Amino acid sequence: MAALASLGTSGWAANTPEIDAEDFLEKKKDADVLVIGGGMAGLFAAVKAHDAGADVLVVSKGRLGASGQTPFAKGIFAYDPETAKTSLDEFTDSVSQSALGTNNPVFTRQMAEHSLERVNELKEWGFFKSPLYHDAFRIPLTERGIPVMERIVVTHLIREQGRIAGAAGFSLDRERIYVFKAKSVILCTGAGGFKPNGFPICDLTHDGTCMAYRVGAKVTGKEWNDGHPGQSENPAACYNGWHGMFDRKPGVTGVGIRHDLGVDLNYQAYMQGNPVQMGPSGSGGQSKVSGGPERPEGFNRPGPPKGGPAPGRRPGGRGADRSGKRGGPPGMHGNMVGGSSAGMSIHKSEGLVPINEKCESNIPGLYAAGDALGSYMAGAIYTQIGSSLAGSAVQGAVAGEAAAEFGCTVTLQKISSVSMGKIRTEILAPLKRQQGYGPDWVTRVLQGIMIPNFVIYIKKEPILNAALAYVEELRDHHTPMLRAADLHELRLAHETANMILSAEMKLKASLMRKESRCSHYRLDYPHMDTKNWQAWINIFKGTDGTMQLEKQPFKSWPA
Amino acid sequence: MSVNTIRGCIGCGTCVKTCPTDVFRMDGETGKAVIRYPDACQICHLCRLYCPENVITISPEKSIPVIVSWG
Repeated sequence: MAALASLGTSGWAANTPEIDAEDFLEKKKDADVLVIGGGMAGLFAAVKAHDAGADVLVVSKGRLGASGQTPFAKGIFAYDPETAKTSLDEFTDSVSQSALGTNNPVFTRQMAEHSLERVNELKEWGFFKSPLYHDAFRIPLTERGIPVMERIVVTHLIREQGRIAGAAGFSLDRERIYVFKAKSVILCTGAGGFKPNGFPICDLTHDGTCMAYRVGAKVTGKEWNDGHPGQSENPAACYNGWHGMFDRKPGVTGVGIRHDLGVDLNYQAYMQGNPVQMGPSGSGGQSKVSGGPERPEGFNRPGPPKGGPAPGRRPGGRGADRSGKRGGPPGMHGNMVGGSSAGMSIHKSEGLVPINEKCESNIPGLYAAGDALGSYMAGAIYTQIGSSLAGSAVQGAVAGEAAAEFGCTVTLQKISSVSMGKIRTEILAPLKRQQGYGPDWVTRVLQGIMIPNFVIYIKKEPILNAALAYVEELRDHHTPMLRAADLHELRLAHETANMILSAEMKLKASLMRKESRCSHYRLDYPHMDTKNWQAWINIFKGTDGTMQLEKQPFKSWPA
Repeated sequence: MSVNTIRGCIGCGTCVKTCPTDVFRMDGETGKAVIRYPDACQICHLCRLYCPENVITISPEKSIPVIVSWG
């Protein structure tokens, strides 16, 4: 599989750089609060940190409002206490029931409680008037004079004297390394995948999670899987697979708790092969095989919606407009293929481990929000439509205020020349190699190892161990030999290294969780184990540099 | 092959800034956008949707083989 995956791209070869690593200038920027990422979480982090009195700088690998998964999210949840038929407590309890205890009710409730305020602010900025979000995102930042630096690939967090001191990265447009000194940093870097096909993960490769892990942050949620299928016809075509959703203006969703988009379809495909037709649970999907992921009581797969299309016909379903003329996400339409979002967990279930409800990590001064924070807001399964975008907005705001508050208690730190020299060397290493592995080729080998249904979705110990052996080989003998000839390839090299690290985390966490629950399914441990596994898995770098894993009981904060 | 053509580019650079996967670059000589890294295209259409002149064409086929979980 790995060999097949590599077809069409260049593996080991001599490197002929088009730019000279020695020409890179170093530019320095200071801020009280550095926000990394320009999606929904980054927007609110910047606005609220500024409004709390901080000098804020936003840095993004892509364009404000047009990178990460934010531009493709078209529903945002708002809990309106005046119209909701359930109380906040009832809402939170219902999410916990669907999530089989995997959610953190503090973040579940926080999301709902603050969602309407965030949605109303977005309305003021014109967010709901256009399918494209950049202009609306610019409004509050321009009004506040918050600078935004786009197309900067942040590769390193900098930790000095035990707390965060800033970050560093490089420009995609010119030979420049940027060093950002900050009193606090908020990672709004989203989640990521293995550059899969058909789901708009696009530029997300777990960059924030990986750079935080490397400086000692704890990471969680890597064993869960987002189960979005893709379409069999042109499976790589994100836009086509989502059938017009990207053209649509965003809308507001109300309360409706579900248990969606785990690995039910993966199990069905594994047990009976293709074709798998119709949509995921809740959209009319029909389970055709016995066994598989267990569903909580009261959240069984519903049949086709009343008045809906016959099996095999395009149902439109969730995401379709009321006329039914425009369709919904992949999986709502005819034959499907799996793995369109491979490498990504359920939104908000993976990322930095929060030590409190303020989105703070175990590293003083380092915060995360949205998909970069393993808040378990929704749990390890999709529970509330639109809560992903709402959660990013709410957590961004919470983290922004907290990071600004933290910044008032500390001063900017000096970044040692030793640290800077090491970072510069690491950033530019792929450009300096005279030969090496092409990052595209290594990525495709990684995809071949990780994406098959029998590896990362329908899991069992021997295969997980086999995949881990491959990934450790990539970690030890390919990551150090990635080459880059230009700035685009330099970005790919760093992204590839991050995906390999994330794959190692996913496999080790999948091996450790010897049970099945929500979006994690072990064929050799097919049932939920409430005696041993009422716990999340945290991953961190041990003192010897090796990856360590630990349990953290559900509904608790790190010790 | 994913992103196909840019015909009628006015050189605003919006597609370069917008593409999440860094497919485009500005041509130093012509001052217009070029499709520099087509293999990176994830066919999300953001470039086309943001292009003020609507001059970018995109096809749904990926230029390199696609890895899926099943199918």
